[in-house]
Amino acid sequence: MASLTLKDIKKVYPNSEEKKSKKKKKGDEPEKQKANLQITDEGVVAVQQFSLDIADKEFIVLVGPSGCGKSTTLRMIAGLEEISSGELYIGDRLVNDVAPKDRDIAMVFQSYALYPHMTVYDNMAFSLKLKKTPKAEIDKKVREAAEILDITQYLDRKPKALSGGQRQRVAIGRAIVREPKVLLMDEPLSNLDAKLRNQMRAEIIKLRQKINTTFIYVTHDQTEAMTLGDRIVIMKDGFIQQIGTPQEVFNHPINLFVAGFIGTPQMNFFENCALSVDAGKYSVEVLGKKIALTEGQNKALAAKGVKPCSVTLGIRPVHMQLDEGGFTGKIDVSEMMGSELHLHMNVQGNDVVAVIPTAGLDVSAHSIGKSVNFSFNPALCHLFGEDGNNLL
Amino acid sequence: MSVKAAAKRAPIRLSAGDKVFYTINTIFLALMAIIVIYPLYFIVIASISDPDAVLGGQVILYPVQITMAGFKRILQETSIWRGYLNTIIYTGLTVILSLVVTIPAGWGLSRKTIPGKKFWMIYFIIPMFFGGGLIPFYNVMSSLGLINNIWAIVLPSILSVWNLFMTKTFFETSIPDGLVEAAKIDGAGEYRVFTSLVLPLSKAILAVMALYYAIGQWNSYFNAMIFLQNENMYPLQLVLKEILIASESTMGGTGETILEQYRMANQIKYVSVIVSSVPVLCLYPFVQKYFSQGVMIGSLKG
Repeated sequence: MASLTLKDIKKVYPNSEEKKSKKKKKGDEPEKQKANLQITDEGVVAVQQFSLDIADKEFIVLVGPSGCGKSTTLRMIAGLEEISSGELYIGDRLVNDVAPKDRDIAMVFQSYALYPHMTVYDNMAFSLKLKKTPKAEIDKKVREAAEILDITQYLDRKPKALSGGQRQRVAIGRAIVREPKVLLMDEPLSNLDAKLRNQMRAEIIKLRQKINTTFIYVTHDQTEAMTLGDRIVIMKDGFIQQIGTPQEVFNHPINLFVAGFIGTPQMNFFENCALSVDAGKYSVEVLGKKIALTEGQNKALAAKGVKPCSVTLGIRPVHMQLDEGGFTGKIDVSEMMGSELHLHMNVQGNDVVAVIPTAGLDVSAHSIGKSVNFSFNPALCHLFGEDGNNLL
Repeated sequence: MSVKAAAKRAPIRLSAGDKVFYTINTIFLALMAIIVIYPLYFIVIASISDPDAVLGGQVILYPVQITMAGFKRILQETSIWRGYLNTIIYTGLTVILSLVVTIPAGWGLSRKTIPGKKFWMIYFIIPMFFGGGLIPFYNVMSSLGLINNIWAIVLPSILSVWNLFMTKTFFETSIPDGLVEAAKIDGAGEYRVFTSLVLPLSKAILAVMALYYAIGQWNSYFNAMIFLQNENMYPLQLVLKEILIASESTMGGTGETILEQYRMANQIKYVSVIVSSVPVLCLYPFVQKYFSQGVMIGSLKG
């Protein structure tokens, strides 16, 4: 159990000498963007300006699309990658140059990384044996961890005789048996099928109640992030986009990226909406209709001194309702999800998704090709400026 | 369709082109098999056939007038048994030392983080293509005081760069980085990773390397011929060569004796091939299982 402090952490993978000389010959190209990596003269920048304080026993989830630097950050915390600059503290101890084995951390890998020649018992006992823990204590700890994870009956088996879910439990068991200060998990569920993933997600929540430690969990699955994390760190292109509780990042996304990344289905965006102000009251024009903003929104915009401009309006599909007086759209796709209906509509050339509860709804009246009227509560909409930042 | 009916279902019909392809393939492979197997079979039947029949071209498919005279002649030589013992000692030492050198070197070179990796690669590659030549080699061994010494046979054979690179490739492809990282987080240092993780997962390459080095040393005679003067230190191959030369060169006496020696020399050729090959052939089945065995099953996803 320990707190963690990351101060302005940066990770650069240096260019090889060959690449450096080639670059010099080509001329000065100080910085360019290739896919989502920043390539500079010093090399490929994977993570930068990463500062975060993690409290003792907190469950932090790093989430973001592939290549955003979340796994690199985790590997730097583990000591598997060198930190190019910045400071990493576990508790009060600066651990930038401390070997992984001396950091008192444990890690669960995406690929399980179980030792194939050892039984489940030996896999779990390996780290304790290296610490020269007495045999009786090893046995007690391994059996306790196996009990928690319900793998006692597999202790004598080798990893190849286990299913994917069982292997992942062993990997978790191997990590918790050491009672580490920090437990790192690198996309531990991404190799499992959907059903097992849901089950294991619940198990991890239960596990957290049973073991008192600090968790840092990396995933690209925002459902995992929302359900597991006390706080979520959303990353893109090596930068932190937003840090907040699941509720905060869902209700108050800081920019267009976070708004689009968090929430399923994705938030609807209406671009080039005219924001106007008349006698101190703001209104926004969406798809030809002028919508007056609420008192709270007016205050927020006025406090920031927002001038009339072109904005992007965002509204979550779950915040839309069928309403005769609202906008009209044509249904392109109708997805019946059981308790709710996902309607993909074309509204004046815009793709709009609405999530409608099916209770009391005539589902057959909302099939492909039919027209439908909908509206949304202005209080739940988000306004993003030209720089992509949330104005509210 | 029931399971029984499905089981009885006719196999997928081949097209005319497929049939021609499979037929030509089968004939070609059968011919290749005969080309490889027949010379070995011929040596066996020739070694136990009457030398006259062999010389007369009568031994083609089966032994003619079976005789063990060649084996008797060879096995009654005491030098053969001494040669066997010497070869076993040389081979055993070579295998042990070569594994001690090759496996850690291969592991080291397979790691991305080893300092000066490029330098070490060049260092190992250069002697692969350029050798100093026989006389400098002899001079080096002589300066080291290794003439007529067991180490003159063993030391030059303990590292084959070809085998080293094969080992390096095995480690690169068979031991995932994730496994090593997991061990390091669990508290293992470099030495512990190597002994507790890498070695137990490398039975296949250990077996293959042991076999390659063993066969190389078992069959070698050149270094022994150059560096050994004491006949008591001769390895088996050199002893057999001496016996063969002796049986060919001691021709003298009456015409009948000359003919008899000539016949015997011819048979000894075949017998010596068998005498020197049988132990290696016996060893092969024990290591064969490792050749294609996937030791990593269950370790990673999938």
